[in-house]
Order: sequence, then C-alpha cells, then structure tokens
Amino acid sequence: MIFDGEQERRAVDETFDYVIVGSGAAGATAARVLADTGAYIAVVEEGPAVSTAEFRDQIFPAFRRMFRAMGTQVALGRAAMPVIQGSCLGGSTVINSAIAYRIPEDVWQTWQTEFGLGAALPLEALHEHWDQIERELSARPTAPEMWGDNNRRLQVGGQRLGVDTAPLRRFEAGCRGSARCMTGCPFGAKQSMLVSYLPYASERGATLFTSARVDRVTWAGGRASGVQGHFHQPQFKKNIAPFSLHARKGVLIAASAIQTPGLLAKSGIRSAHLGRHFQGHPGVGLVGVFDEAVNMWAGATQGYESSQRRVDGHFKIETLALPPENLLASLPGVGGEWLKSAAEMGHMALWAVALRAYGQGSVREGLFGTEIRFDLSEQDMGNLRRGLRLTAELMFAAGAREIIPAIHGLPARLTSPDQARLLENGPADPACYTFALTHLFGTARMSPQPAGGVVGTDFAVHGRTGLYVVDSSIFPTNLGVNPQLAIMGIAMHAAKQIARVAG
Amino acid sequence: MRASNVPVTDSRYTVAKMLSKASRVVLDTLLPSGANPRLPLGIFDAGFEAFWADLERTALPAWRWGFQAAVFTAVWVAPLLIRRLPPLTRLDRPTRERALAALGASRAAVLRQMLTLLKTIAGFCYGANPRVREAIGYPRQRNPPRPEAAP
Repeated sequence: MIFDGEQERRAVDETFDYVIVGSGAAGATAARVLADTGAYIAVVEEGPAVSTAEFRDQIFPAFRRMFRAMGTQVALGRAAMPVIQGSCLGGSTVINSAIAYRIPEDVWQTWQTEFGLGAALPLEALHEHWDQIERELSARPTAPEMWGDNNRRLQVGGQRLGVDTAPLRRFEAGCRGSARCMTGCPFGAKQSMLVSYLPYASERGATLFTSARVDRVTWAGGRASGVQGHFHQPQFKKNIAPFSLHARKGVLIAASAIQTPGLLAKSGIRSAHLGRHFQGHPGVGLVGVFDEAVNMWAGATQGYESSQRRVDGHFKIETLALPPENLLASLPGVGGEWLKSAAEMGHMALWAVALRAYGQGSVREGLFGTEIRFDLSEQDMGNLRRGLRLTAELMFAAGAREIIPAIHGLPARLTSPDQARLLENGPADPACYTFALTHLFGTARMSPQPAGGVVGTDFAVHGRTGLYVVDSSIFPTNLGVNPQLAIMGIAMHAAKQIARVAG
Repeated sequence: MRASNVPVTDSRYTVAKMLSKASRVVLDTLLPSGANPRLPLGIFDAGFEAFWADLERTALPAWRWGFQAAVFTAVWVAPLLIRRLPPLTRLDRPTRERALAALGASRAAVLRQMLTLLKTIAGFCYGANPRVREAIGYPRQRNPPRPEAAP
C-alpha cells in the first residue's frame, strides 16, 4: 500500500516492526527480505511516488519530479560537480541504467585486509545473495539487438584496438532499447525497485510512505524506537503534516551516502567518521561525431563498456545515451555555431570515463541544507586523462570523424587520432572538465571498532541499539564498478542478519 | 498519484514573471531563428516562453536564481571579455555571439559555468521540442498504454 504524503493533511502515528528510511536499492531490498519474515514494515521515502505510466521522454519534467533537488545538487571543490541522485519511490534505481556488478574480488580483499570486514561481509554469502537478486531481477548481458549504434561502436573500436569490451549486464525484463533509463523506463522493463522489490514487499503488507521526509530517529531507553518527520511537497520541501512511525524491532537507515549522515547527526549520533570519507565515481564524457547516423536514442541507454583498465588505471569506459536536452548543453559554440553542432546530434556517440577516484570529500548539514565537498587527487586527474585518451582512441578506431572533448584549454574538436594524446596531456585542473558525480559511498563507514567507523559489523550504529545502516554509506571504499547490485547484496545480508537477531 | 508531467505548483511561486528584455536578447543570441537550415527554429519558436512560465511556477528557486545570475553575467560581464562596453543588449548579433563565446572560453571557471547554465536551461526547452527532435532523428516515441505499474 502506498501512503501518499502529498495528499495527507493529518498527523499520522503508527507502529510497525521495522521502519526503513529510503526506498532505493538498499531500502527496497531490506524491505523485500523482512517482508518474507512476516514482519510489519514501513518504508519511508522522501520523494514522491511516480508510476511507470507517468514517465515521459523529457528530462526537465523528470528532474522536477524524480531527481534530488531537481538536478541542482552539487559537490563543491576545485570543480563543481553535479551529484546525480533519484528522489522518488525506488530511489536512484528508477533513473539509473540498472547495471549489475558484483563487488570485484580485489576490492573485497581490501575491505578484508585493510578494514577488517571479511567476517562481517563474507564473500560466499554475498555471492549467494547476488545470485538470488540476479535471478529475481533478471540480470543479463545487453542483448545485441538492443545495442544500437552508440553501444555497437564501442565494440568495434575495442576490436580494432585490441581493447577488451563487453556488453553491460543489466536488470531488465524485455528492454526495448528506448534509451530512456534516465527518465524512467516507460515499459517497466528495467527492473527498478519501483516495479520489483517494492511491489513484492507491498503485497506482503509493507506500507510505503512517500513524500515523507524523516527529520530524526526517536529513542526510548537508549534504543531506537522509530522516526519522526513530515509529509511534504518534495520539490519545495514545504511541510504538510507531521508523522511519527514507531518501530518495535528496529530502524533501518537506507537514505544514501548523502542523506544518511545528516539524518544520523540530527538523531544524536556523534562520530569523527560521520559524514567523512565521502567517495564516488566521477565521470567525464566525450562526444564522437561520425559520418554515418548513430542515433544514440535507439538502443540501451548504457549497453557496453570497457573495464580493461579498472584495476591498473582506476577507470572504466561506458557508453551513455543522453536525452537530446542534456547532449545539447554539452556541445560547443554559441548561436549559429551551436546550432550547427546541434544539427549533428543524430551522428554523435557519447562514451564516458568513470573514475574510481582516490579523492575523498565530506557531507554535512549546513545553513543552506546538505553541503557536499569533494576533490580529486593528482593521481585521479592522471587516471582521468589516460582514460579520456583511450576513449578518444576507441572512438577514432570506431570511425569517428571528430571528437568534442568539452575541456577548457583543448581544441573544441579533435580531428585526428594523433590528437587523442592531447587529452592525456590536458589540463590538470579539475575545473577545466565537466564532471558528473554518481555512485556515492563511505559517509557512515563500517568498522569493527567505534574508533574506525560509525557502524559496527552487525550493521548497528556503534554504541546504539536498534538503529541500523544498510546503504552504501557503510562501504569503506568505492568500488570502481556500478554499485547497485553490491548495495543490494549487502542490504540483503544486513536485513537477514537483523531479522535473525531481532527475532 | 500526481502525474509527473503535470507540474506541482507552489503558491509562493505562482506569479510567473515575464522574461526580461535582457534574458530575451541573451537567449536569442544563443539559439537564433533561421541560423541553421536543418534547425531553423530559434529558442522562442521552440516555446521558451511557455517553458519559462512553467519553470517559474514549478522549479526550485535555485534554477531561477541561477538563470538570472547567468543572464546578468552574460549582459554585464561577457562584453568586457572582448573589450566592449556592456550591456550586451546594445551590441549587434555577431558581437554578442563573440561575447558569449568569450564567456565560455574564460579562464574563470565560474564564468564558464554561467554559459553552461544558460545552455543547460535553453537546452531543456529546445532539445525537448518535437520539431527539433524530428530534425535530429530522435525517434518518435509513444508511451505504451498500460495500467498503473507502481505498487
């Protein structure tokens, strides 16, 4: 059942077994697991419920209704980076490309040896959870008939240069290649939480509160007893009515690495690590212009990748189909020059370098809301430039006539493969690049000891009872791969453990 | 549930302000009418006024304030970058284009971001226009007739 807070005019006071804050990959997976135990569950989502039937192929209405802060959320640092997050029922899974990756073994080894999490997050158990999730959400490599030319050309470039490329594995059941993942799949084919685990939990009695912002966790005798908050108009954060939801067995926070630390801080949690160690995967795109039509809007939004340099280069390359509105803004020129570029959009491919950044930042609540700070290290900039060079070389190998780098200090268009090296020798200043920051981690990290993190290996906040964190804020590092499946597997592990302890 | 394409309005922001003359000049310089044979539409042919009225009513103030700051920068700072006296509105079209191009090439990242912001907001409207999409080969898509899919 959905309880739409935007339509609510009266205060609500109800009691559940578990209250889960957040309905994205982590929260929905926890709800799916706990619903199976017969528990009475509330899932509380700050954003609105937007149904599949309402999805349209225009980006601004999607920003307005489904993206956090209508797409204006930014991490400040040497470069201002838009931080892309969903804010609707289903969270970012509604607007991402549903890419399925397990935690790479080298990353997990680091977690085990450097952070002591091997016992808390046993790889064998995680693989079992990932098997289950992949089965239930139909994870599969992007089918060739869904590649379209934007994806297919990365395969061609890889073959010609001897660079490993592969179709991305995605959660989908009947993808039609409409390239509309970012604005919500209009066919319900993408297996976002909106059409999968949330309906599953709902059918088993879970109540989904939407447009419901949690202000703080409440306490009774040192134990988390529930949450208080307000139903509101999410776009404007205009309060409508208060709510109190009580939890007999536990409160699970799955609000994301941006919102979780603020909520914990407002709930009285103190830790030197809270809001720190913020990590992510910043990305920069390159546009290739081809003589033949590419039409990136026919095919999977993100269907192909090269992860050959993931370990030694700390980057991977992914295709990305942007809506025309966004692609247009990234093209060079003004007036007639801009229109000339725009007229070629049908002949453009867009591939992005996603960095596994060493740089870290912080998230905290400030006077004007959540303040995100993030900076890249010199090493990151070196990796980025090498990634961009390889991307350009792949594009030229795939037949690109020219490349639009959109990097300050470089030519507006690169016209020969020789010029790809300009990218590796490009500016070291992050402000010269146009980034987007996605895949967010680390702001309430897990550690066996309170001195090392915010959350213990039982997923409970150190020194507190009944308050658990199950989202990517507990990750001690970033992953270098798309995190949805990793987040879901860990949330599944957490929820099973919490259910076992709570009885 | 409320339809995503039906804007939620906030009573604090229901008075849709008219676009200023300066905004019009800046936008018309960015995306002029008849400047490209494949994309003959200008920003105002593509329905920017209706788009802006909608944005005024339904978008976070950050979008509007950002747009106004970007227009101010374009009008009063961009001409200085090509050693011309502001405001931009008094310059001829080729000079205005040079001034805005200089904004995008400025050494100051914040100035470059102002042009990016203008192009982003203009792009929201222009790239969503059906005639523009048809001209660039964007496939005409219809949403499947299906019942409510949310739980």
